[in-house]
Amino acid sequence: MLTRGDKILIALILVFAMAIFTGFQIYGFSGEKTYAVIEVNGKEYQKISLGKDGPKLQLKVPGAMGDLVLEVDRYRVRVLSSDCPDKDCIRQGWASRPGQALVCLPNRVVVKIVNNKSSGELDGVSF
Amino acid sequence: MSGSKKMVYMSLLVAGGVALHLVESLIPVPFPVPGAKLGLANIISLLAIVLYGTREGLQVNVLRCLIGATLGGSMSSLLYSLAGAISSTIMMGMIFKHFKNVFSLVGVSIIGSVTHNIAQVTVASIVLSTFGLYSYLPFLMVVGLFTGIFTGLAAIYAREKLIVNLRLLDVMEKRR
Repeated sequence: MLTRGDKILIALILVFAMAIFTGFQIYGFSGEKTYAVIEVNGKEYQKISLGKDGPKLQLKVPGAMGDLVLEVDRYRVRVLSSDCPDKDCIRQGWASRPGQALVCLPNRVVVKIVNNKSSGELDGVSF
Repeated sequence: MSGSKKMVYMSLLVAGGVALHLVESLIPVPFPVPGAKLGLANIISLLAIVLYGTREGLQVNVLRCLIGATLGGSMSSLLYSLAGAISSTIMMGMIFKHFKNVFSLVGVSIIGSVTHNIAQVTVASIVLSTFGLYSYLPFLMVVGLFTGIFTGLAAIYAREKLIVNLRLLDVMEKRR
């Protein structure tokens, strides 16, 4: 039923799909920059740009209960230590993709990962 | 085959396409990929191309999309399905006309469904104005590959039966 051309076509499409997939995995979406926006008590405290050439640093953020230490590792952020009672913010681990957020409720600190294109906008509208 | 007879057969194809279009929207898709669908109506557009040609295939498919959208769909889904239907029908018609001995109907159908996917993602990324949607294309292409094989096989079996029937009708016509 399947001719040789069909089989070659199927193989080609599979290879092509894999190529696009790996291409996007490696290069990501070009032209989009991601930022980590640190908010304390609802007000923006600092904005750090993330990515391949992002900074590698530890940052002390003054929260409502005490200090919170953030670790920035080029493209990702985590809470290293915090003066809050249950340490839930530390257990959230790393955040790197736009839309993710690290929250420390007792300290009133929120770290949002946003990108320059979709920040504050809807993803899409269907009607 | 006379003009009015051809018109009747083509409208039968449109009716079949609309029925498949509506039945398809009732079938839940087992893949966790939104936007992926079986593409059952593609069987009809393939048949129209095989039996009559690219122009007729295009007519049947566009009519099918318009009627299908008015019966069960929305304006935005009409936009996507029309773009996909037009581009994939033109593509399938060209492939069938020029590379008939390289690809079977399965190959033609695969090309049609992948073209359909590319057109839909393009329209969606224009509507939503983000290039990032193309990262979603590989998943759609792989799903489209398998549904394309399925619709191609269905079209092959349907054509075998249909051609026998059409020939029988022609013979009866001549005897009368």
